[in-house]
Amino acid sequence: MLELRPILSALWRHKISALLIAVQLGLTLAIVGNASVVIQERMERIARPTGVAVTDIVTAKFMPVAKDYDRLRAFRRDLDMIRQLPGVAAATVSRVPLTGGGSRTGLHTKPNREVGATSSAQFWGDEQLVDALDMKLVAGRDFTASDITETSFSSGWRPSKAIVTQQLAGELFAGGEALGKAVYLGDEDNPIEIVGIVERNLGPWPNAPDAGNAVFYPAIMDTQWFDYVVRAEPGQRDAVAKLLEEKLAEHDPQRVVTVKTLQEQLDRYYAGDNTMIKVLSSVAGLLTFIVALGIVGLTVFWITQRQKQIGVRRALGATRSAISRYFLLENLLIAVTGILIGVAAAQIFNYFLASEFDQPALPLSTTLSCALILLGVSLTATLVPALRAANISPATATRSV
Amino acid sequence: MIGYYISLAMRSLRGTPILSALMVAAIAVGVGASMTTLTLNYMMSRNALADKDDVLFAVQLDNWDPHKAFHNPSEMPWQLTYKDAIDLLRSDIPSHQVAMHRWGGPIALEGSELRPYTVEARVTSRDFFALFDIPFIHGGTWPHAADNNSAYQIVLSQRTNEKLFGGENSVGRTVNFNGAPFTVVGVIEDWQPSPKVHDLNNGDFLESAEVFLPFGLHRALEIYPWGNTNGWKSEDINSYEDQLGSEYVWIQYWAQLDTPEQMERYRDYLTGFIRERKAQGRFPRPLKFGLSNPSEWLALNEVVDGDDRMLSWLSLAFLLVCLVNAVALLLAKFLRKAPEAGVRRALGASGRSIFSQHLVESGCIGFAGGLIGILMTLVGLALIRQLAMGHMDTVASMNWLMMLSAIGLAILSSLLAGLYPAWRISRTNPSIYLKTQ
Repeated sequence: MLELRPILSALWRHKISALLIAVQLGLTLAIVGNASVVIQERMERIARPTGVAVTDIVTAKFMPVAKDYDRLRAFRRDLDMIRQLPGVAAATVSRVPLTGGGSRTGLHTKPNREVGATSSAQFWGDEQLVDALDMKLVAGRDFTASDITETSFSSGWRPSKAIVTQQLAGELFAGGEALGKAVYLGDEDNPIEIVGIVERNLGPWPNAPDAGNAVFYPAIMDTQWFDYVVRAEPGQRDAVAKLLEEKLAEHDPQRVVTVKTLQEQLDRYYAGDNTMIKVLSSVAGLLTFIVALGIVGLTVFWITQRQKQIGVRRALGATRSAISRYFLLENLLIAVTGILIGVAAAQIFNYFLASEFDQPALPLSTTLSCALILLGVSLTATLVPALRAANISPATATRSV
Repeated sequence: MIGYYISLAMRSLRGTPILSALMVAAIAVGVGASMTTLTLNYMMSRNALADKDDVLFAVQLDNWDPHKAFHNPSEMPWQLTYKDAIDLLRSDIPSHQVAMHRWGGPIALEGSELRPYTVEARVTSRDFFALFDIPFIHGGTWPHAADNNSAYQIVLSQRTNEKLFGGENSVGRTVNFNGAPFTVVGVIEDWQPSPKVHDLNNGDFLESAEVFLPFGLHRALEIYPWGNTNGWKSEDINSYEDQLGSEYVWIQYWAQLDTPEQMERYRDYLTGFIRERKAQGRFPRPLKFGLSNPSEWLALNEVVDGDDRMLSWLSLAFLLVCLVNAVALLLAKFLRKAPEAGVRRALGASGRSIFSQHLVESGCIGFAGGLIGILMTLVGLALIRQLAMGHMDTVASMNWLMMLSAIGLAILSSLLAGLYPAWRISRTNPSIYLKTQ
């Protein structure tokens, strides 16, 4: 370990090449560090529990070809049929959550208020709504058949009962008991009683700031935006999807039916985040690879250049491991310089990304773990040429002087 | 001389295949990554209406909650209420004007083998085609009356006409849309601007409408839009008429103002329009309206979003690392060849010609890197198309211009990378090498 002085003086003679490697490592650390916080944030976003049985749910939309179609009657007839199908656990007709399309409202805890509403997604469905989405009821009761109204958005109908998510309950009645309390829509005085609380539902827009606030009303609406939401028994989803497509067409051929899985719709919603994750990971991977290539290339070059000196050192009694150690130590010095540059550059990059693109702040721990990985890559890249250098025979030194 | 340098470069590259391959790979990967994101950004920031940038304007009126501005950069709703759109259409100031929204439904042909299928539709006033300069292949737009009274007339896109009628002149024929029979009055050439500048509320890069219907059909068909409807107060909606008379915003509006005088008059008109409505107790916010031309509209709607811009910065940083890498490798390679340069110098080559010889060599590496970089870009774009699940199909593709830029970027970066190493080698003192040979 006392070889630092000769290493430093040798490096000084190659200062430009050494600095180039250090700068490369530094820039790579800055990019990889920032990419990994973004990746981490997006992955956490996608991994959040949705509160809904995403993998088991199939949805079906239909569009009637005939004019003046009695949609409510079709809903009733189809639901009766769907619930009889083998492999179906529960079914309702509602707007489908997690798809990027839905309805939002403002809720108040006092009547006749104009400002200070809590923003929330809203859903409608019948007594199987909670079951079809497989939401967990944590307090109160589920809707029963007698709660359900069949109506339309242009009827002026207002709900009198609602189920809300735990998160919404908490936001409306900070800390207090929400069950049995009333909420109000807009500046109205019609009380809507909270009869039940479900654990979670990310609603139509999982990336929206108000995601997780959701209210459910006991009603079937006469609207083209309602789809059948069918939960299959575990493992039966694809069979149910196929059956659903067949049976719905058979039940009434005068319509265009589209069957999709909820998973597919959620994947589509997260496609942007997913693209970012994949692109950033490949960028980080490729960069590290390129830097490693650069280090291999340069170390090989240095070793060829110094073949004679290595031979002389070997002839003077340096062991093989001392030769390898020399190059590894040299690389370590360069890498540490690069990482110091990189830690500073990463913070500057992050400041720019955070202020310009609202990206998360880069914690020092992330930078340091990326730095450790890069250090490892850098040393590994030196290892092969360094071991080869150790094989240079002392005879080389005597041959050509 | 250049020819000789190129042949020297080729020989030198063959002499050190591994180091050369490393450099070509580094440049190719750098060019591939940056061209992938630059292509996306370039395609996303196109403006299909650029030639009408001086005369087309998206109209916004600030009719929103008095307590809270609309949540977007313009602080005004993107769309208008139905009743305001209908009133605006009465103005005779704009040369053309369009009130419209997205819709859709199943389309079918009586007595045809074709199974009914769902199409994207646009419910619009008749000027749509004139305002956006969309040429007709057959027929034309519907008459003025159809913008106010229900007329079951329809304009088909070329593709729809191809699908339903095998591409023949279908004007006068009947199609079934949403359960009602419509008479075809025109067929337009396919019009797929990307980004979809005329409608940025419903997926910026998705496909445009396949059929077009008159704006006078709302009451007859009770049309609810396939797009955003936003509201800010609770309203008693007991009928479709209430929906049309509500403060809900769901109509997109464009006006063509050809001269500065027209612009001036239209601004006055909009000011008066809002004042009038304020007097009736509507428009509770301070008087404000927006007229944005297509490029302003694209910027306002943030078509190129933060993620996209971040990726292009990132890929430029990536290219920078690849460049630094290339500098280091070139330096190594040239220094290794220093004895050759020494001999050439001793035989009378000037420092400058050694410099250009090595710069040419860097350029050759860049050219090879650029060619492979194009392949990598194509692979990158294909991956992005797949990852984006249809959101990016129209933008994740490369044209000739972008391919040439890729080569240009590669050569430029390799020349930049070659500058220092070539300078360094051109200053070689020949005597050292002559001694050891």
